[in-house]
Amino acid sequence: MNKSPWIFLGVLFAMSLSWWGMVFGPASQVNAAKADLGDGTSLRPRSGLAQQGEQIYRENGCYYCHTRTATGGTFGYEIQITQFGADEDLTREIIGEKFAANKILKKAFAFKAVVGANDAKKAASEAVKAEGADVEAAEAALEQAAEALTDAKAATNAIKIEETLIALGVSGVTLEGDLAGELGLPIEMSDADKAEVANATFAVSKGIEQWDDIKDTVRALKDRAGAQFKLLPVADDWPDVVNGVARRQSVSRDFLFDAHAMPGVMRVGPDLSNVGARQQDLNTLYAKIYNSQAGGQSSHMPPFKYLFNVRAAEEDEKLPADAVTISTEDGVTSVESGFIVTPTTKARALAAYLQSLRNDKGLPEAPLPAVRENLNP
Amino acid sequence: MSEEETHNAPIAPEAQPEEINASCRGPVLFLFFSAAVWAVQATGVGLLGSLKMHVPGFLADFPFLTYGRLQANAWVAFLYGFAGNAGLGLTLWMLSRLRGMPLAKPGFVLAGAFLWNAGVTAAMVGITMGDQPGVAGYELPAYASRVLLIGQAFIAFSAIITYFSRRHQQLYPSSWFLIAALVAFPWILGTAHWLLVETPVRGAAQIPVAHWTVTSLQQIWLGCMGLAAILYFIPKITRRELYSRQWAAFGFWMLLILGGWVNLNSGSPLPVWSIKLSQYASALFIFVLIAIGWNLRQTAKGVPLLGSSDLTLQCMGFALGAWLITALFTFGNAYSDWNGLLQFTYASTAIRQFFAWGFFAMAMFGAVYYVAPRLFSGEVDWACSGTYKWIYRLTAIGAVVILLAGLGMSYGHGHALQTGSPEVLKKALMPMRIAFFGEILFFLSSLIFLGSMACLLFRNCCGECSPMALIRKCRADKAEGGAE
Repeated sequence: MNKSPWIFLGVLFAMSLSWWGMVFGPASQVNAAKADLGDGTSLRPRSGLAQQGEQIYRENGCYYCHTRTATGGTFGYEIQITQFGADEDLTREIIGEKFAANKILKKAFAFKAVVGANDAKKAASEAVKAEGADVEAAEAALEQAAEALTDAKAATNAIKIEETLIALGVSGVTLEGDLAGELGLPIEMSDADKAEVANATFAVSKGIEQWDDIKDTVRALKDRAGAQFKLLPVADDWPDVVNGVARRQSVSRDFLFDAHAMPGVMRVGPDLSNVGARQQDLNTLYAKIYNSQAGGQSSHMPPFKYLFNVRAAEEDEKLPADAVTISTEDGVTSVESGFIVTPTTKARALAAYLQSLRNDKGLPEAPLPAVRENLNP
Repeated sequence: MSEEETHNAPIAPEAQPEEINASCRGPVLFLFFSAAVWAVQATGVGLLGSLKMHVPGFLADFPFLTYGRLQANAWVAFLYGFAGNAGLGLTLWMLSRLRGMPLAKPGFVLAGAFLWNAGVTAAMVGITMGDQPGVAGYELPAYASRVLLIGQAFIAFSAIITYFSRRHQQLYPSSWFLIAALVAFPWILGTAHWLLVETPVRGAAQIPVAHWTVTSLQQIWLGCMGLAAILYFIPKITRRELYSRQWAAFGFWMLLILGGWVNLNSGSPLPVWSIKLSQYASALFIFVLIAIGWNLRQTAKGVPLLGSSDLTLQCMGFALGAWLITALFTFGNAYSDWNGLLQFTYASTAIRQFFAWGFFAMAMFGAVYYVAPRLFSGEVDWACSGTYKWIYRLTAIGAVVILLAGLGMSYGHGHALQTGSPEVLKKALMPMRIAFFGEILFFLSSLIFLGSMACLLFRNCCGECSPMALIRKCRADKAEGGAE
């Protein structure tokens, strides 16, 4: 440590380590990220006003009080059966008593039994009519099938219509016409009902289990019971998702097209990573920017009135279409009593930028987790 | 084989301290005085920004006075204005003294110092006009960083020439830190300038670049300059040898290797591997803390640094303690639960303030107190040395207030963010309200520092032609006239 050139070289080498690790490495990886989402869609850069709005956001230093960084958290897996296999007893054994006792499961397998008995009855009827058939045996089979159908219909206990539609969806069978009516289903299904049936799922885990807890169940459902299912992440210790701040974790690709990435310093104000989804009403957003305390709102955000045109209202003057308004007990009034307030281009740009901040669409590296209310009805 | 045997060239004779001080007088005093002016600006603007945080409607109709712009301006004034000027001034003086040679090319330093201050001014004007790049902790517009880089190159040129002008048998550890700071700064600023502002990489890739820039500026650039001062002055004033060069070397290299990696927030939108690496680096930072802390503890064993009668030693003791606490906080960031709780609260801002004022500014105040009078002659002392003590006291109390508010009360904010409590705003503001008192104390100490510097210059600059000498002469003439 007494030779000056070595100090210089050593400093350069030591600095280069962190430069490589924290600048070159991550920046290269992130810089190579693609906009393609893998499902035929892709992330799009901001354009027009929203692009200009990023500049307004930066100029005013909004990133000192707002973050755009929804954090990650822990999640559990919810096993969602989309179609049960054929063996009811085996399925019950695999998913355990708690989930096996659910009315939807009973009804789904009852639907399967009805369809099976109905098919058997039809086959037996045709066998009776067929030439050269063993009529006696065919009639016995027909009688047996009819009894099974009656029993199966009796098993389709009366439950709510929404639950019945889910049961039909996860049973994997098709019931139409009078038979559907006999089983508590609409004879003519609306589009909403059809969507309910098509998207029906039946959860057989609480959504807090880790992979090690459920891997045996998953393998048994797949290999032994022949069920079709999907695994849904459910937010557990994930404050930003559970508290409604964001729909998922913020990741590098959320900043892919930013001219200046501003993940933020502090959360004195709310996180804005999903503000575009939370605040879709433009007028409300303008009112918030103009004076966040207008209408008695509790807020600590400073007013940004200089982003708006303000002029005194004429007597009995009607509010123009682009006036910023708030709803009060007296109805819809100007955000500033006695004045007409309209947004400047800067305010429009800032609002457009804020509305472009959304994370309510899942990415392959950051899927949307469900929140706890999504468990079985 | 000793170095003496390796290099047969004779070692140049060491210059006298008076000669070295005289060579540094103009450039270093200019840098110190500039630092004092920027310190007042930094604290004044910061105070105004904090006031706006507590009274949101205050001066809300002026777009150039938003909280974000004021915060950016305050940090730029501190980092490049105060820290840059004071750190570079001290670097020049210490390198000259440690090498035993007069400052080479002082004209370059003056030119560099003018450029440097012009760069900081341009940055502040640019930010006021809304030109900041959006990177909290860096915040230099392109034109300002260009000027700063050129200015630093001028000053560094003089420092390097001085450094190589005489061969020493042994380089004192402070020299390593100062050289590291000189080399690191253009690298850090160059990286930020080109990758964030001049030809910015894609948005997502800017986040790791920005983090490396900000953490390197703090840990490596400021850290090296501040620690160089502490390692120089504590042994010097206590008249002891540094306990261990090996410990110092270990701490030095570990600081350089780890300084740019640490403190990445666990929630950063970056690849997981880079966050994990940062956490490991933060964990390893404990070795830097131990190496520096243990070495200086053993050096000053038995000497009450804070209780010393020597003001420089008091300042260095407090600065050392502040550095150790911030290093401990860095180590704490290795734990993702801890970091996850505090990452969006006032805690990281408070720790940055504590590092800036408790460690760096305090080390510089102590160093300036020692160096500035010596630049005139051996007989000059601070005009009002009693008031200079208040710089130490006010800065120390302010730093402790901000630390306690930031760490103690930000926990509540972090917890409220985690639970989605409706009291989150109240919890967020509480530590900032308390820290406001600390900022007032910083402002007062900066004013006293500026006043002390002005007083020192007023009395002693220009030899017999200093304003004070002229006043004394006039008084004496008047008194003589009256007597006649």
